[in-house]
Amino acid sequence: MRTHARRTIAGAAIVAFALIAAACGSGDDGGTIEGPTITIGSAGFSEAALVGEIYAQALEADGYQVERKLNTGTREIYAPALESGELDLIPEYTGSVLTFLGGTSTPDSDETYASLQVAWEPMGIEVLDYAPAQDKNGFVVTQATADELGLEKVSDLAAYNGTLILGGPPECPEREFCLKGLESVYGLEFAEFRPLDAGGPITVAALQGDEIQVGTMFTSSASIYANGFVLLDDDKGLQPAENLVPAVRSEIIEAYGDDFKESLNTVSAKLTTAELTSLNKFVEVDGEDPETVAAEWLKAIGVTE
Amino acid sequence: MISFLGEVAAWFGDSANWLGASGILNRLREHIQITVAATAVSTVVAIPPAVWLAHRRIGGTFVVAVVNIARAIPSFAIVVLFLPISIRLGLGIGFWPTFLALLFLAIPPMFTNAYTGVAGVDPDLVEASRGMGMTDREVLTKVELPMASPVILAAVRVAAVQVVATATLGALVGWGGLGRFIVDGFAVRDSVEVFAGALLVAGLAIVTELVLGTVEKHVVPATLRTRADGVESVVA
Repeated sequence: MRTHARRTIAGAAIVAFALIAAACGSGDDGGTIEGPTITIGSAGFSEAALVGEIYAQALEADGYQVERKLNTGTREIYAPALESGELDLIPEYTGSVLTFLGGTSTPDSDETYASLQVAWEPMGIEVLDYAPAQDKNGFVVTQATADELGLEKVSDLAAYNGTLILGGPPECPEREFCLKGLESVYGLEFAEFRPLDAGGPITVAALQGDEIQVGTMFTSSASIYANGFVLLDDDKGLQPAENLVPAVRSEIIEAYGDDFKESLNTVSAKLTTAELTSLNKFVEVDGEDPETVAAEWLKAIGVTE
Repeated sequence: MISFLGEVAAWFGDSANWLGASGILNRLREHIQITVAATAVSTVVAIPPAVWLAHRRIGGTFVVAVVNIARAIPSFAIVVLFLPISIRLGLGIGFWPTFLALLFLAIPPMFTNAYTGVAGVDPDLVEASRGMGMTDREVLTKVELPMASPVILAAVRVAAVQVVATATLGALVGWGGLGRFIVDGFAVRDSVEVFAGALLVAGLAIVTELVLGTVEKHVVPATLRTRADGVESVVA
């Protein structure tokens, strides 16, 4: 592993980094891999920070030197930081970041991922395998509403055109993935749109109080899990794919090679939307420590012992 | 800048922005409703006990200090804090958390001014009134209340203007009102709509100030009118 790492190192800066990292790492246990310290950032919300922590612990378990700068901020802040080398690795959402980079995302995960690979490559950023887990905009109803009206998918709502109230973030009426798309793609008509929040406590309260019947929520939101809401299937593919994906500086991959990729790909392969939702619930609803939640999950999927 | 103001003027000129549930007229109606309701309820809740306590000379600065602590909390925090309370009480989102927060904001200045206004009436004057044979009730209604009326009414006016401005925050907890233009405009980065919303709120605040100022002029005894502004600036 060490020789492999040395062989693939390119560039004086990398060598310098490696020397520093190696110097810092000397005296550690034998499992430590020599090479640049990997600085991990994340978007400034709970789920992104949790996935960043999962990446960090998975890499540490495989002997990599890791520095955490989680909750870095918005994409406007962390994406340039990744490109400039202040950060080396971040968890991203394929559709959103592709749109941010000027590309066009589609509901198809593979297609969106392929476009993202092409879009970020010139900036020296590589995306590893994407996880099945997605965090998209979704539409939810209460279990009672779902039972009463027989709702499973978004298109089922068409039978109740003109009778239901939709609640969502104030920008929803202007967005294709929200009210505009529901009208044009699904042919839905709501009795009223109520501007609330982006799947936060106001939307939860409005759904529970039947002030709205349909709410917008992120598909991996802990609120769905905690309140027993029913997430309606986006059967006409309104939402672009938003798979979680590790975005890494190419220099790191050049320094460490395929073993590094494998460490994160193993984790991503196990991360499904259902798993992610329940992990979010542990952190956001039960108030558990993200470090503990990440550690327990990595143990459960067999990455650590 | 000129083109921006032109866009704002065009926004106001578009009839689509005036009509319907999310139009200016309906938002203005909602805003006026909650302002009148919150100001009226605060007046009833705050002023009689303040007047009575001051008349009896009970509590003193201690009561005023306790009530005033509430004024140190930022309005935004109050609106957000009342959201879970309202939900727990089964009142839901929207109107009630906004209304309760506005009460919480309007009551302290009204209470404080009413208390200080009555307690601040010259003790010699009160003594003289009793000496003239006035009953306790007459001292209150014929001397203390008229003397304190400029301060009390100024407090109602100041509170009402504050309520108009603060009701804007109701848009953050699912309520309507003129704050919707600001919050919804911000959500889609539409600075024209945000600015138009701010103009509407400011306009309503000015109208409220003028209307209640006129009421004051008619209610306050002529000989006391000059007192209003001087005392208000000290107390409010």
